[in-house]
Formats: sequence, C-alpha cells, structure tokens
Amino acid sequence: MRADGPRAPGLPETEASLLARAQAGDVGAFERLSSAYADRLFMLLLRLLGDRGEAEDVAQEVMLRAWQGITRFRGQSSYFTWLYRIAVNEANRVLAKRARRPAGVPLGADELQLPAPAALDPSRQAENSELRRALARALGDLPPPLRTALVLRDVEGLSTQEAAEIAGVGEAAFKSRLHQARLRVRAAIGDEALASTGG
Amino acid sequence: MRVRGRSDDHEWSQQHLSHYVEGDLRPRARRRLDRHARGCVDCGRGIRAMRALVYAVQGLGGLAGVRAPGTVFDRVRLAGTGGAPSSPNA
Repeated sequence: MRADGPRAPGLPETEASLLARAQAGDVGAFERLSSAYADRLFMLLLRLLGDRGEAEDVAQEVMLRAWQGITRFRGQSSYFTWLYRIAVNEANRVLAKRARRPAGVPLGADELQLPAPAALDPSRQAENSELRRALARALGDLPPPLRTALVLRDVEGLSTQEAAEIAGVGEAAFKSRLHQARLRVRAAIGDEALASTGG
Repeated sequence: MRVRGRSDDHEWSQQHLSHYVEGDLRPRARRRLDRHARGCVDCGRGIRAMRALVYAVQGLGGLAGVRAPGTVFDRVRLAGTGGAPSSPNA
C-alpha cells in the first residue's frame, strides 16, 4: 500500500503528527521525531567510521540532510530506515574520502568494545576483551560495503530486508556482501579465538 | 551413484558456511553441506566457528552508555531559523 500524502499511515500517531509538523517546517518537531533515533544512529556511525570526532560531525550532517529532505519523505519505509539510509550514505561518503589514505582505517577499537559481562570469570573476561579488540580490528579492515553489511545485519540486528534497503542494494547483493564479510572476519580472527566465545 | 570427491565439496562447503548458518541454502545444498560436514573435521569446526562469529559480532550490539552528542541538531537549528525546510535530495 502506498502513502498518498505526507503522513505515513503505518506510523504511530505521535510519530506521524511530529512528522507532519516537521514537514510543515517545525524544527522542534523534527528534533523530537529524530532524537528518538539519535543515540542508535550515533552508535551506527561510530561503528562504521571508528572515530568519535568524525561520527559527531557526520551525525550533525545526517540530521541536517534529513531536515532538508523531510518534505520528500513519504513513508514508503519507516522513518528510522530512511534516517539510517542517509547515515550510511554519509558514512560511505566519508569512507570513500579516506580510501586514498595509505594506512588502514582505525576503527576505534576502544570505543567499539563492550565491557565484558560481569558473570564471566577474570580469565574469560580477558579472552572476551581480546576477542572484541580482534573483532573491531577485523571490522575496520573490511571494505566499507562489507563492513556496512555486517554492522547492519549482525551488530544492529536488522532484518535482511531492512538492512538491504538501508544499504541501498537488493537482498541478494546484500547477502553476498554479508557472507563475504563473515568469511573475511572469520579468517582474520581464527577459529581458535572464536571457540572461546561459547556461542 | 556418483560420490563427490572431497576436493569438490570441501571448498564449496567452506565458501558457504555463512549461508548455512544464515539458513540461506536451498534444501539440496544444505543436505550437500550436511553430508560433507559429517565426515570433515574442518567443515564441522567451520560451522561452529561461523556460529560463534555471528554470536560474537551480535555481542557488539549494545554500546551501553554511548549517547549522541548534544550538538547533533546544531546544524538543523542553524538552518531551521530560516523557516520551512527546502528539499534537496537527502
């Protein structure tokens, strides 16, 4: 079903009304609408870019572009999907600029680590931290399209359909990227390290 | 009955471990990998490793305590003071 007007019929009323007001030029409504996703979007940018300063800059740019394009949003996807797609496009633009650099792109391993679960004993916590660092490095070494696929599907936990839409490719192409990314990360980390996860 | 050799099935299985874990293989292909992995230590280990990898990457999911910076709407506020948004491609 297509939305004929600026308001998406599937949206909750609060989001739909905020969207309508934002599309009418209400900056405050746009902020309230988008702030619900700001933390998650920032985390996505941190994972894709690996640099906090750059992620902050790109997050501002994403919100600006969303504001500038809000009148074109017709609700054919969720607002979240639309916003995430802008974020991925902006991150890829930054990563493409970086591609000319001779050295590998650091992915901010420290920022990407999670605290090890408290229930683990110290030796398992150490293994866990080491694995997280290795994962962060391996993610950072992936070409941007593969990194995006892995982050959207496995880290963010989005469905293949939604992740493919955000990445701007068909589902078959997205899956191909995802599988390539997993094979490369597995090769980079090694089965022995993965065996320690107990997953 | 033709029995596929290890050189054929092994490389193919190694390339499709992620598809297997994701449930993306058609039934016939899944049976092919199952059949091969039953007799192949490397591929059996590969399946476990791929599952562990997905589990570990999923574990990166929640960056607890990470918040968007307070400046995230600064450019919007600057642009928004001019009135209704214009419509360049987003």
